[in-house]
Amino acid sequence: MKKLLLLTDASDPAVAQAVDSLEGWVLRKVPSDQLVGAIPAAAEDDLKAVLVCSTDPSTLRHVVENAHGAGIPVVVGCADDVARRRAVELGAEEWYRCPAVSEEIAQRIRGATGRRAPGAAALGERVENVEYEQMLNDSLTGLPTLPVMIERSRALFKERGELVVLYLNFVRYSKVEEIYGWEKLDAVLETTATAVREFLDDTSLSTSRLMVSFTNDDDFIFFHVPAAGVEAASENDITDMVARLQRHVGGRIEAQHGEDIAALFDIYVGSAHVYYSPKIRLERLIYRGIREAANAARSIEERERARRVSDLRTSLRERAVYIEYHPIVVTETKEIFGYEALARGVMRSLRSPEVMFDVAGAADLVWELSRLCRARAIEGIDQRLQGDELLFLNVDPHDFDDPTFDQHEVRSPERVVIEITERTAIKDYPRFRERLQRFRDMGFRFAVDDAGSGYAGLGSIANLEPDFIKLDISLINGIDTNFIKQNLVSTMVKFANDHGAKVIAEGVERAEEFDAVKALGVHLVQGFFLHRPSKLPLVPATPAAGVTAQSA
Amino acid sequence: MAQQKPSILVVDDNQDNAEIIRQYLESKGYLISVAHNGDEALRLFETVKPALVLLDVMMPGRDGWEVCRIMRQHPALGRGVRIVMVTALDDWQDKREALQTGADDYVEKPFDLPTLVGTVERNLAMQHAKAS
Repeated sequence: MKKLLLLTDASDPAVAQAVDSLEGWVLRKVPSDQLVGAIPAAAEDDLKAVLVCSTDPSTLRHVVENAHGAGIPVVVGCADDVARRRAVELGAEEWYRCPAVSEEIAQRIRGATGRRAPGAAALGERVENVEYEQMLNDSLTGLPTLPVMIERSRALFKERGELVVLYLNFVRYSKVEEIYGWEKLDAVLETTATAVREFLDDTSLSTSRLMVSFTNDDDFIFFHVPAAGVEAASENDITDMVARLQRHVGGRIEAQHGEDIAALFDIYVGSAHVYYSPKIRLERLIYRGIREAANAARSIEERERARRVSDLRTSLRERAVYIEYHPIVVTETKEIFGYEALARGVMRSLRSPEVMFDVAGAADLVWELSRLCRARAIEGIDQRLQGDELLFLNVDPHDFDDPTFDQHEVRSPERVVIEITERTAIKDYPRFRERLQRFRDMGFRFAVDDAGSGYAGLGSIANLEPDFIKLDISLINGIDTNFIKQNLVSTMVKFANDHGAKVIAEGVERAEEFDAVKALGVHLVQGFFLHRPSKLPLVPATPAAGVTAQSA
Repeated sequence: MAQQKPSILVVDDNQDNAEIIRQYLESKGYLISVAHNGDEALRLFETVKPALVLLDVMMPGRDGWEVCRIMRQHPALGRGVRIVMVTALDDWQDKREALQTGADDYVEKPFDLPTLVGTVERNLAMQHAKAS
């Protein structure tokens, strides 16, 4: 390997040590008065940097000018402040104060060579190159991206004449980001990619040539080129593989990220067979195959969606929704303060409330579903809550338009906190506030849910005059290591204290996160670190609960 | 070779500011590299592999947000590095934006140097705690 050359007049042994510590570098030492003259010859020998320690101003100037003329960066070892100023004025790439330890000198040499670009054009190229390299492999999953895949499969595809494209659409990953923030999504994607790779190592298809590409957040593409003498995977093989893949990935996500996130997870897979034709450009064939497979995946998704709508109608008819109660505790004492009611579908396909409301939204059944969930939750106040524990009830602002939703639905409104999410845009504030006031007059209290999720800040929260402010999960996730999150939460706590409200941190999963929110003065905490949501046992009946529903 | 002093990359298009920060942090024993624009910052990022980047937001060309996003995506260095934005941001929206780009902390402009060092220190301490 050709050595990278450092030309210097320094007699300081630390310089020699520094060069020794740099991989692939060698030192060429000349006296100060010969330094300028030595540059052209050294430039022939892969000169990468000049380090000059001369205190003579004109030597310094000549060295810098000549080196720069040859496109070589300069490091100046400065004996004093005057020399330092001179180095900066002359535009030397780096300087250090003599004496310096070898590590610092090495760092300066690295810095100077990194900084000095041979020309403006090459500089731009270099940055583009970084980006191009990043494009080749997805930085999160380490899987090759599509252009790389096409190159790699070109020869194989030609030789075998046949290629199966599988398009895996991972739905609702955007929801993970929306609710939990991008750090969580990144973690989930990583788990997914690992799980997919594990699965592939283990699948019957591994005997054939199988390659994976990751096109964007939600989608994987598999290229399956059957090995010589082996049949291409049949429809049945593919269906079977997908079912197993879904179980495997779902299981891994649940193990690492919990049930709530796993419940959001779904894969829809479409496949397409592509046959090689010498007349058609190979890229075009492959892209066509991908499109066909993507369409197939989409139509499966639509079929599945239709099935879920019918599941939802059945659930509404049979009141097949149950409530899990997620404790909210006082930060200082960890005593239970209340419970958030989380509605879940009895049917497996509707287990996740997010999914359930998604389906309802698409089928215009939101009010019906909200009514059922609300009724179920309210039953719990008397049947399942103790003493003066509060019930936190999720209510969509649109529900306030539902004529059947009124303040008389509940027997003991003082035990209910209505959570309104900041995510839904409220259009008519005055009317909305008027409506809220009627509930407030009855004794209901209000919480703003997902507070701080948007860019809006505190203004919109102040507008609702909440009793509780529930911080968005994305602010809590990793708060122990992120000072910006800590700053935002502390702003929120201060705001709440000024307005007589209490702040709730939800999504607290680790002891470090708990300690961080506690230190910031957050009043109440909810999260897996303390409790998981559960069906609470029935409390021995107090007569005449006032709600006419029967328990399922 | 074990590197004892943490290395910091200072990115600021204002040369005077950059020099002042550099001298002050060097006097505190840190190894400082300076870049004057986003492209230079990205190149230095790979060569000096800093433990922490002090990143000015307002720069011509690639601004600090963009540089921050690209650094975070770096396959080898993106995870471990602490990124501190140097900015006049003081409202909710800017901080939210900073979170979205993957920044760990910020220093409000104008800042005094002891505050800057305090911020640098707490981030390096956090990095240390995370690594062990």
